[in-house]
Amino acid sequence: MDSVMIEATDVSVRYRLLKEKPRTLQEYLIQRLKGKRHDHEDFWALRDLSMTVRKGETFGIIGRNGAGKSTLLKAIAGVLRPTGGSMRVEGTIAPLIELGAGFDPELTGAENIYLNASILGLSRGQIKGKFQGIVDFSELREFIYSPLKSYSSGMVARLGFSIATEVDPDILIIDEILSVGDKQFVRKCNERMDLFRKKGTTMLLVSHNLDEIADVCNKALWMDHGKAMMCGEPGPVIERYLRSVS
Amino acid sequence: MGRQAGEIAEILRYKELLRNLVTRDIKVRYKRSVLGFLWVMLNPLLMMLVMSMVFSGLFKVSTPNYTSYLLSGIILWNFFSQSTTTAVVSLVSNSSLIKKIYIPTAIFPLSVVLSAVVNFLFSLVPLLLIIYVTGGALSGRVYLLPVILLLVALFSFGVALMLSTLTVFFHDTIYIYEVLLMVWMYATPIFYPESIIPGKFLFVLHLNPFYYYLTIFRGALYLDVSAVSVKLLYGLCFSLASVAAGWLFYRANKDKIVYHL
Repeated sequence: MDSVMIEATDVSVRYRLLKEKPRTLQEYLIQRLKGKRHDHEDFWALRDLSMTVRKGETFGIIGRNGAGKSTLLKAIAGVLRPTGGSMRVEGTIAPLIELGAGFDPELTGAENIYLNASILGLSRGQIKGKFQGIVDFSELREFIYSPLKSYSSGMVARLGFSIATEVDPDILIIDEILSVGDKQFVRKCNERMDLFRKKGTTMLLVSHNLDEIADVCNKALWMDHGKAMMCGEPGPVIERYLRSVS
Repeated sequence: MGRQAGEIAEILRYKELLRNLVTRDIKVRYKRSVLGFLWVMLNPLLMMLVMSMVFSGLFKVSTPNYTSYLLSGIILWNFFSQSTTTAVVSLVSNSSLIKKIYIPTAIFPLSVVLSAVVNFLFSLVPLLLIIYVTGGALSGRVYLLPVILLLVALFSFGVALMLSTLTVFFHDTIYIYEVLLMVWMYATPIFYPESIIPGKFLFVLHLNPFYYYLTIFRGALYLDVSAVSVKLLYGLCFSLASVAAGWLFYRANKDKIVYHL
């Protein structure tokens, strides 16, 4: 239970916010000709953030909007290369961010399973092996050969959750999504999360629902202005966070 | 060098995604049309029909087998122009994915070029048919077909990488490229014979990679072409230069892409 899955050391991510950012080539050339320097403001979405996530932990991340939670997830998922510091991640990651980002409405559910699972890095053989499980869990058997554009948003969400979890990653990233689907499906999702916990899958959870964090996480990180304010048992971390907000 | 190899290995690791992106593109493009995939073959044929009605009076006398000349030009040019104009927006239009999930980004322009390869192969069917119907004999150099396909695919991929990366930072690239492509098309002997180009402009022709690609392509199909090996060498140089430039430009800006999407 103590091998390190995610190790962030002094991670910083800087966004360059240009004042009067040239949006087109024309503006860029005009600014160049005028001899204008690109005045920019640095915005540090993450500032010297260090954290350690160990195998099997359910790790909650809380903080106000703009605290850098999503940027941190991007850095962990490998989407962003940090401006400074180092980020080490062991094993495979499946992000469950905004379900259905990789779906094509014209393709059937079955074709979308192949597309989406391959976005997560699976091979054809692996997808074939998991296909039936995905279909069964999503409860979409009658619709699986219909184009996705005929699905309801709840059905799309179910398919997305089924794929991301059936992929069986070492690290599952969940960004505010467990409110999708009807009550029955939410229960199924929660059961599956329990199963993951028992199996020792590491989970990262970003949520504004503090009760949920307190319920399911065994560790929590409070972020503010790109910095790690406090990390530890969820109870005390949430308490400190609430005190800072009020 | 290690990082370059790493990137290529990553793309290979995601080959199932590459496959799915290519098949998706082919499945979706004509899905809402009645004739469906037949359009891949019908489109160049109809274009040829229109252009030969317009231009045959002008160029027919000076060009042997003008229909084959025209159709081969259209098909090879379409391969390049379609793949690159689609690839220009390939990073921008997949931004929702690129911003959320780690994917080797170069896979998007690559998949566009590969689906254009598939379309190209299908459009060869009407071309071979036309060559047969108009009484032309297939050239003894048919073995050059896969070579020229590879050269143009490499060239297109280099341009696609360069443009798709540039578009992330400057949206104007899309519109500038449209115009450039039109100029480029008129500067290429697609529907006119190279013999009508005045001597003082021949240097433009010799700087145009598509002059070499088209001549080799026609030579591989039906035309008797001189100095093929020299033209192949030029073509190869253009292809390698394009891929190298595209790849280096992409690599130099790769980490910045996600901040600008």
